[in-house]
Amino acid sequence: MENKDFYEGEYMPQMHKIGKLTGFLGAVLSFLPALVLAVVYGLLPKPAALATAFISAASAFGFLWVVEPISYFTVLGPVGTYMAFMSGNISNMRVPCAGMAQVAAEVEPGTEKGSIISVIGMATSIVINVSVLTIGVILGSSVLSAMPASVTEALNYLLPALFGALLMQFGLKRIKFAGGMLAFAILIGIAINAGLFNWLPGAANYLTTLASVFVAIGVTLATYGKKKEAGK
Amino acid sequence: MDAMKIANSIPMWIACGIPVILVIAQALIFAKKSYSAGKKIGLTEKQMKNAIKSSAITSIGPSIVILSGMLSLLITVGGPMAWMRLSLIGSVMFESIAAGFGTASVGVQLGADTLTPLALDMAVWTMILGSIGWIIFATISASRMDKVQHKISGGDPAKLMAISSAAIIGAFSSMSSSHLIKLNKNSVACVLGAVFMAILLTISEKKNIKWLKEWNLTISILAAMIITAVI
Repeated sequence: MENKDFYEGEYMPQMHKIGKLTGFLGAVLSFLPALVLAVVYGLLPKPAALATAFISAASAFGFLWVVEPISYFTVLGPVGTYMAFMSGNISNMRVPCAGMAQVAAEVEPGTEKGSIISVIGMATSIVINVSVLTIGVILGSSVLSAMPASVTEALNYLLPALFGALLMQFGLKRIKFAGGMLAFAILIGIAINAGLFNWLPGAANYLTTLASVFVAIGVTLATYGKKKEAGK
Repeated sequence: MDAMKIANSIPMWIACGIPVILVIAQALIFAKKSYSAGKKIGLTEKQMKNAIKSSAITSIGPSIVILSGMLSLLITVGGPMAWMRLSLIGSVMFESIAAGFGTASVGVQLGADTLTPLALDMAVWTMILGSIGWIIFATISASRMDKVQHKISGGDPAKLMAISSAAIIGAFSSMSSSHLIKLNKNSVACVLGAVFMAILLTISEKKNIKWLKEWNLTISILAAMIITAVI
């Protein structure tokens, strides 16, 4: 019981405080390059042109600002949400690393232990991600473009392979459920491609993840209640 | 003054370096606090070290993909912005599009026309304004969503666990499906990744081979990637 008090009463409030502080600080500090361009080089944006550019960007991606944090919350947890949206590259790196860390530590997602392990896993992935990028940017584009074309082409297949493998990692034990979810996601994808959701703003790119996550949760909640009743 | 000289200048490196340091600092603070909290709630050091090791191994592949994605951004908006945008909030796909919107608003086509200093400034502003929506919304809503989630689960840990596992399967179903419906080599890679993973998981589980459990994801991905590229 003491542990519970510590986690809910001490750990989580502290995490929320740090998360909010660093999150807002991150939003403010990301303006530094624009400030340098203005102060050091006297470059100011044209307001009308900036409005046009911003509206284009907002209509292409604005929905994701809201939909992505909601879609990934159950997977990332509260602390993970602060970290993942600060560092970006969520589906292709943070979620896989958090999940694999939980597998290695043999803890379940959604538990207190699971959340702590996912934070540790995500932090590791952020340090590695930023280090690799830093080395890359120092070496410069000349070295990067020296990569043979065959390697660059092969790299295109890394992410699809990663997603397939991860689906198996987490779905193998519940293969019927995972198969059903995959079939559902494919149907939604086909419907989007057929233009059935064109009335939604932002090209409906976010719809598959949002629908898949919430249908998965909904099905689980519905069957969970039944299982409990059957148990009685 | 040449736009690319400005984009790669020392002041720009400093301006981009500070937010990148914040990203690392946040990760380290969270990790340190969570590590000591983990000990208090009964996680062993071995479990946490295993988590670090496994995450590090998993990070290698995606890191290289992000690195190769930085290449196109590096050429168009310079090293510092490319580096910062892919370390803070950004994602490869979004950033080059946002930069393109920015330069287009003053009549410069990104990647085709020569970048003017004004176009660079517009690209930088659009990339910033286009990405802070994520962090602001996520930061504001994290504690609220935490409460909603507790309400849905009714404080039942087993229920919360079931929801989380289901959500992970939902998320990866969605990501796999987007490649599967393309019916191209991406679909092949996705299927191969899943097949190799199923085989390795079954073997490492049945024979209880510890090192294989740690490496089966990396082996599956690399094998699927290489086979797809060769065929």
